[in-house]
Amino acid sequence: MEASAATAVRSKTITVEVNGVEYEREVEARRLLIHFLRDDLDLTGSHIGCDTGNCGACSVLYDGLVVKSCMMLAVQADGAKVETVEGLADGNELTDLQRSFTAHHALQCGYCTPGMLMSATALLREKPHPTEDEIRKAIQGNLCRCTGYVNIVEAIRAVSQ
Amino acid sequence: MTETTVAPPKPVVAEPDKPQKGWAGQNVPRKEDKRLLQGAGVFFDDVKRHGMGYVHFVRSPYAHARIRSVDVSKALELDGVYGTLTGDEVAILTDPFFELSVPPGADMKDYALAVGKARFVGEPVAAVVAATRDLARDAAELVEVDYDPLPPLVDARVAEDGGAPILHEEAGSNVVWEGTFDWGDFEGAVAEADHVVKIKELHFDRFSSTPLECSGCLVEYNRGTGQWTMYCNHQMPGVGAIWMAPAMRVGIDKLRFVTQDIGGGFGNKICLHPYFVACCLLARKLNRAVQWTEWRTDQHTANAHGNERWFQEIEVPVNADGTMLGFKVKAVDDCGAFPRYEPLGCIIWAQVTPGCYRWRNIRVDFTQVVTNKSPVSPNRGYSRMQHLWLTERIIDIVAAELGLDPVQVRKQNYVKHEEFPYETPNGCIYDSGDYARCLDIALDLIGYPSLEEKRVDAESRGKLLGVGIGSTLDSGTNNFGQSMILNPELQFSGNNEVATVKLDIFGEIVVTLGTVPQGQGHETTAAQVVADILGCSPDDVHVRAGHDTYWNSHAGFSGTYASQFAVTGLGAVKGATDMLAGEMKKLASVVLGCTPDDIELAGGMARMKANPEVALPFMALGAILNANNAGLPQDLDVTLNCRYVYRPPFEKPDLERKYGNLTLTYASQVHACVVEVDPDTGVYELVDYAAVDDCGNRIHPQIVEGQVHGATAQAIGAATHETFPYDEDGNLLTPNFYDYHVPHALDMPPLKTGFIESESPFTPLGAKGMGEGGGAGIHAVCAALQDALRTRGSPIVTDSCNPYHRVWSLLQDPAASRAGIEISSR
Amino acid sequence: MLLPEVEYARPSSVQEALGLLSEYEGARPLAGGQTLVNVMKARAAAPDVLVDLQDLDELKGIDLGADGTVTLGAMVTYSDVIGSAEARARPILGEVCAQIADVQVRNRGTVGGNICSNDPTNHLPPLLVALGATMTIRAAGGERTVPAEQFFVGVYQTAAGPGELLTTISIPAGKADGFAAVTIGKDGTCIVNVAASLDGGSPCVVVGCVDAVPIVLRPGTDDEDAVRSAVRGANLQPPSDVHASADYRRHLAEVLAARAIRQAQGRRN
Repeated sequence: MEASAATAVRSKTITVEVNGVEYEREVEARRLLIHFLRDDLDLTGSHIGCDTGNCGACSVLYDGLVVKSCMMLAVQADGAKVETVEGLADGNELTDLQRSFTAHHALQCGYCTPGMLMSATALLREKPHPTEDEIRKAIQGNLCRCTGYVNIVEAIRAVSQ
Repeated sequence: MTETTVAPPKPVVAEPDKPQKGWAGQNVPRKEDKRLLQGAGVFFDDVKRHGMGYVHFVRSPYAHARIRSVDVSKALELDGVYGTLTGDEVAILTDPFFELSVPPGADMKDYALAVGKARFVGEPVAAVVAATRDLARDAAELVEVDYDPLPPLVDARVAEDGGAPILHEEAGSNVVWEGTFDWGDFEGAVAEADHVVKIKELHFDRFSSTPLECSGCLVEYNRGTGQWTMYCNHQMPGVGAIWMAPAMRVGIDKLRFVTQDIGGGFGNKICLHPYFVACCLLARKLNRAVQWTEWRTDQHTANAHGNERWFQEIEVPVNADGTMLGFKVKAVDDCGAFPRYEPLGCIIWAQVTPGCYRWRNIRVDFTQVVTNKSPVSPNRGYSRMQHLWLTERIIDIVAAELGLDPVQVRKQNYVKHEEFPYETPNGCIYDSGDYARCLDIALDLIGYPSLEEKRVDAESRGKLLGVGIGSTLDSGTNNFGQSMILNPELQFSGNNEVATVKLDIFGEIVVTLGTVPQGQGHETTAAQVVADILGCSPDDVHVRAGHDTYWNSHAGFSGTYASQFAVTGLGAVKGATDMLAGEMKKLASVVLGCTPDDIELAGGMARMKANPEVALPFMALGAILNANNAGLPQDLDVTLNCRYVYRPPFEKPDLERKYGNLTLTYASQVHACVVEVDPDTGVYELVDYAAVDDCGNRIHPQIVEGQVHGATAQAIGAATHETFPYDEDGNLLTPNFYDYHVPHALDMPPLKTGFIESESPFTPLGAKGMGEGGGAGIHAVCAALQDALRTRGSPIVTDSCNPYHRVWSLLQDPAASRAGIEISSR
Repeated sequence: MLLPEVEYARPSSVQEALGLLSEYEGARPLAGGQTLVNVMKARAAAPDVLVDLQDLDELKGIDLGADGTVTLGAMVTYSDVIGSAEARARPILGEVCAQIADVQVRNRGTVGGNICSNDPTNHLPPLLVALGATMTIRAAGGERTVPAEQFFVGVYQTAAGPGELLTTISIPAGKADGFAAVTIGKDGTCIVNVAASLDGGSPCVVVGCVDAVPIVLRPGTDDEDAVRSAVRGANLQPPSDVHASADYRRHLAEVLAARAIRQAQGRRN
């Protein structure tokens, strides 16, 4: 650990790997990870739907675990690996999960979709064949106001079979 | 377990053996999905401009207070602050927004920022613009506002009482609008009836659909042309401009609205004009692009709730056989601090005056008042949902009190399949439907015949089981002439929507819509309709994403609201495409030396019917007209760029009788649900649920079903936890998603869906608008709870939202809820 | 959504963290941040310095002692507990952690953060009191242990004072435990929760959400009526809010206490 770690600073240069690309930026200590992604890196795929950490629209994978990027400071992510919705598809080639979302009409306005995909991706990596209850529990932290979750659950289930 | 079930063997009522042809009716992949799945959609907050400033509003901490002074000097001293705006400046630079009501509502002055007084907690009092979002908020905290708090008005029922605080002194009253609607012969019905059931008071709670994306805009001002461009998520820009331009004292073309992807609207993004005007003034004042992003707490406290409504002194005349003859009610509607879209809610309910029923004698005394709460705006099911909840509560309360079967009593009172088109007592024409059939399908899906066994099983587990039905209408395609019933001076009537379809130089088919979609899949369904007419694939049709008033593709009523795209939007697409098809045939006939009637469009070609080998690809047609047109006849009247305005067939209503056809189509939904209540705690669970939909011809069944799912989930939320209650000081008690609980994936019951298709005789595609669902889930859950508790003193469910604590209260003191019920029989 | 200005430090040892916490007035430890960051977003709290504990590996252990004691480092996340074979020695720990919020929060939120924030609606304060846990608190001058029952001193206040850090939580061996809650939506915020255990000598019932700190009841016996009457006799004065009246909370406390004790009884053998 660098010596400067022991000093409290108002802003700091951080290095974060996002979707395989390393970014180095100076950020204010108070900056949330979601604002770092959206405003500093222009990765606007992750969204913001609340201000209390309830909606999950900002969900990203953080060192492999799904987290809400509005409940973390960007400085905390120094040295971490982050995956966002922009990193899922291989170029224009959608993942099976993304294709399943469109086949099952699992998105309407699409605003919750990036966070939903990240939660589902984390689930399927850990548990390729989840039960319906496990699917629901895995996306419980992602609110959707359009679909009633019916087709989202279906889409995840279909890709896991 | 979730089961998505497509209902019973013969789903189609109108034409059982209708052959499936063409793209309409198929679940083609949505054009919108690819970008949205990759995080490549463009929502307003994704748009950035060089040097832009961020807007933060200073908001009132008081529900009601005089503003003595606003001092922005400390905020302006902070490094990185670009400027501010106060109510005093707004009062000089703008006029109050135009009001729809007659007095007293007409005299209520509404500006972009509070002028002189704050009237609800969260009302914007000043605005600050700074280089970053954080700095703007820091600076906003430095603005010093000197308030003189006044007593707040938080209960609509006392708004007219002598001592009630007056919100708008200019109006001299808290009443926005009041009027009596009287159809048939209510007194006669009472005299004729065997029983009259009286219900003292019912309460429809405040809530909203809370779209996951909050509101906002990025505004640029062009000093050279005096024009503002708003990259935003306004869902009804045509009407937004009608409010904004006169207030800002500019022509309507000075306001350019641009949207692409919108994260849900549900009506809650219709009344954004005060915020947008403040942003426009700031962009001009600071000569800089400014962006306002609303946060969740802002949306809950200070944007748009659904209308709260009290129903009082309800009387229902009923015959011994269960036939209901109508009802009488006094409705008190609480629209919050400013009318804005109101008082339209005072008439919109009349689209569904008798609900699904053959009731002929109806009297409604309707009063709308202001209170020191967030203003309201249309909210999915706008105004009809409240009224339909009343009709369904009437059915279930009367049935319970008179010992009637809720299924039979519905069927007995429903408008019958053979009676369509059916004229309601106030002149609305229900186009088509079969409510009894929908009910049967719904009951089948929840296993209604084995209900008694299920009750016994639940009891053995210590639970109380209840079943509830919600039958509702989703009226679509407004006749805006209904606004004249409220205010005869208003110059609004009918409805319209626009589309342009062109064949471009390389043969591309390009469609521009006047609508402002927020997830309804307009790009996809428009392409289906175009492809069917032009004989190509939806993949060949490019539908521009979003809305831009620069495209000239909108009209006065353009927008995405009130369940109408399948009628107005697709009607316009069909009209424009028919025009284009005619022009393509005409051009082809000139080139190929025949008559237009000899030409057909198929396989991406204009070809001779008699000899399909003789054909011009669309590309050739586009290229000939656009780039290689020498030698074409001078009188060839072809542009290959067709704009069509669809106008539904409406007359102005009879203002005296408050009578006329207020909407073109009536989709219907019947829901049935099963709840299990834990009598020890009041905690309950929805254990089975079915929603059956009839919206006429379905262009894209998957999209229709998605709308049914979504409307159901929102209704279940509103029935169980979602409510916006205020304390006595006017503070909202559920200002964010922490306290305002939205159903998540574990909360949702298994949803089963079914459908029938009763083609509308009145619309271009036989389709009906749908999507709002009429709040059927609220009605069904309320009924199911009441049914579950009937062995516990038969409490009456009097509120639309029933969180656990309310159910517990009903269990504790059933008599209290019954105090307002009275039956007189002869 | 936008935090007040704050300074940030990321120590690499507990010693260093304690130095920072005493060096800066207004410094607060940042554990998983699932409460603190939210509170800062609302600007309801504005610490001057955040001392990020994420690199303190010494606080991330889960150990199972020979006597069956489970020791959780303060920076152990809920997900860590759920997935840990050692923590499973006291099964209720993982079961309750699995009911907290959602996957995202469980992946970041820590046991130490949950109890140090001592939000009256949190799950772990009543549970750890019922289980007879012991908290180890370290300060620059040394270390002390505090029984869970004395750890919670007020709303958002615990025995871990300024300049101190909760380092570990030790839970004695046992299995006859119960937990019952009424929440806002499934696995949501608790309206009332009750934890019970029969393993600590005399039966212990602890009620959450009804006061600033968990309310401990020792009914003397695990008889359901005795438990109910202990709750009634406790003269609870719970708050009224939008989710529940005081009366309703009082009532739920009694019903849930009975359910928690029943669950505990079912696990005795």
